[in-house]
Amino acid sequence: MDNLSASRSFSQFTLWRAQQVPAAPCVALDTDLILATGTRTSIAQHGELLQGQIQDHEHRYRRFLVSLPCARLYSTVTFVPSLGGSLTVEPSHKIKAQRVVRLTLERFGLPHLGGLITVTGNITEGKGYGSSTADCVAGALAVADAVGGSLTEEEVAQLVVAAEIASDNFMFNRVVLFAHREGAVLAELGSRLPKLEVLGIDTDVTGVVRTLEYPPATYDWRQIQYFQTLVAGVERAIRYRDLALLGRVATSSAIINQRFLPKPMFSELCRLAECVNTVGVAVAHSGTVLSMLFDPSDPRLEINIRQAYLDLETLGIDNVLRFHT
Amino acid sequence: MGCYQAQLVPLEQNLVAAVFPLMKIYPAEFCLRQAREAGWIESQSLIVESSSGNMAMGLAIVCSLRGYRLVIVSDYACDPMLRRRLEDLGTRVEIVSIPAATGGLQCARLTRLEEIRAQEKDHWWVNQYDNPCNPGAYGSFAAQLVGSLGRVDCLVGTVGSGGSMCGTATYLRNLYPELKVVGVDTFGSVLFGQLDRPRKLRGLGNSIFPKNLDHTVFDEVHWVTAAEAFLATRLLHRKTALFCGPTSGAAWMVASLWARQHASSKVVCIFPDDGYRYVDTVYDDSYLASNDLYLQTLPTAPLEVDDPLAAGPVWSSMQWSRRSFDDVIGSQGKQISQQFSKETYDHGLAPSS
Repeated sequence: MDNLSASRSFSQFTLWRAQQVPAAPCVALDTDLILATGTRTSIAQHGELLQGQIQDHEHRYRRFLVSLPCARLYSTVTFVPSLGGSLTVEPSHKIKAQRVVRLTLERFGLPHLGGLITVTGNITEGKGYGSSTADCVAGALAVADAVGGSLTEEEVAQLVVAAEIASDNFMFNRVVLFAHREGAVLAELGSRLPKLEVLGIDTDVTGVVRTLEYPPATYDWRQIQYFQTLVAGVERAIRYRDLALLGRVATSSAIINQRFLPKPMFSELCRLAECVNTVGVAVAHSGTVLSMLFDPSDPRLEINIRQAYLDLETLGIDNVLRFHT
Repeated sequence: MGCYQAQLVPLEQNLVAAVFPLMKIYPAEFCLRQAREAGWIESQSLIVESSSGNMAMGLAIVCSLRGYRLVIVSDYACDPMLRRRLEDLGTRVEIVSIPAATGGLQCARLTRLEEIRAQEKDHWWVNQYDNPCNPGAYGSFAAQLVGSLGRVDCLVGTVGSGGSMCGTATYLRNLYPELKVVGVDTFGSVLFGQLDRPRKLRGLGNSIFPKNLDHTVFDEVHWVTAAEAFLATRLLHRKTALFCGPTSGAAWMVASLWARQHASSKVVCIFPDDGYRYVDTVYDDSYLASNDLYLQTLPTAPLEVDDPLAAGPVWSSMQWSRRSFDDVIGSQGKQISQQFSKETYDHGLAPSS
């Protein structure tokens, strides 16, 4: 729970340095490398505000997303390096975390290092929380700490995408339009998101979406042309703190995504969201969760949120995650 | 081609003009780009199109830059200066001078186009009236509007192929469904239920129904006369220093009224081209006088009608209310509108070239 409360005190960010565990006796290499235990925590997300595909100035097709970060969701990775031996991961199905550790060690020129990777956290997989990205971000940074190196956000992004093919973008301490299958920043959108109050729900409690098992959405040319407007909209919304516009962009992106990965009860939830005066809804474009976005400066915020809880309950949804950006 | 991007010029507190040097470069570029991507054309392909001027110019520029050959079928609206520019860019220009019995010059141009298409084995017809990439081309313009202005409440512009208005409005409405869309047409254009007859105001209106015109996009429709549009264009020049073509004047007179009547709404009007092509006509008093197009003052407001045939003879408007053509006019309407043109032309009212 410490991590949870710690996370709340961060208004913007993506990751932070958890206590660097002084750990077991340091292992000295002949190259003067000092190995220590590295522990890092990464927040996750609650779906994306926007995800789509545009053509850049050279008319190349670029897939992109803008995450909706959620500090109440986190993953912590501890890496205890050892000389020689294999890389093992706990729990054993966290293969992407294992892969990112391997790639990060290679990045630091230490491909033969082994060790134990332990992944803990509170993120359910397959929902659109970006659990594997969180594991990978924390994993890459834990390795950097363990070997006394450092990584820029861009380098983390590259390593994470290399490890998991498609990743979310909350490894950045700023808002970016992120090419999630390339690991590249397409545009800088601002230093932070405007403040949003969010109610997050799971539209399909039993459903699990494994990103790589789904083919990427095949947008038609009209949608690709239209995404330019959404990108311009999200840029402006962040620059001018225009929550109404941000909500419209997120809703529009969610509507487009209905064609590829429909959320159950989507229209009911949109209607509900309108009745409680949200600025819009955002979905996980590769997952099952949906976020209702509220303007925190609305004087009726708490009344509306209470109403939203009641309305959601009548739809049979009682597991609501409240957070803010 | 970045120099052809619209400039957003604030004209009133709640009215912004999107001033294009040559708006048609958007559909020209996008139609050819999509055709290339789909494999319908390649370098050195022959491109053909019918155009009274601006689409021809847009295509000529893009074809010259990307290495396609271009044949344009046009009419008297293609003045010698435009023709020289087109030919300088390597375009072959064919001028049609006799209007068809039904569908006027537009139809005659299309007939000539068909002849050329029959002669040329490998060619690609842009078909701006029916090609969905024409309206589809305005994604980056809609993005520019949202990026610069945020919410837009009303879009005003002239309608010819339906491309710019239907395209821009559709993209914007995905984000702002409540956007009002006001189309500006001219008397004697069939687009919104007038009967076809020769028109002095070109660059808007049509004698045929383009598939790209989606009537259900429009909340309101205005018809303006050539004389009104020309005077408005001159006033626009004097009052704002914007030197534009007559479709801009037509859009401006409607948009400024709309903006005055809706002070809390943010209005955008589209100015599709600059004024150089019209120096010897719109901007020439003796031309206006000798063609009975001289007007001293603009009407302050349109005549409000609820039937397209009740519109005129001066600036008129109608609540279209996002209805289909059939809902407004009846399912026989399209045939009747075009049939009328046959009689008009038979009575020798065809425009001189």
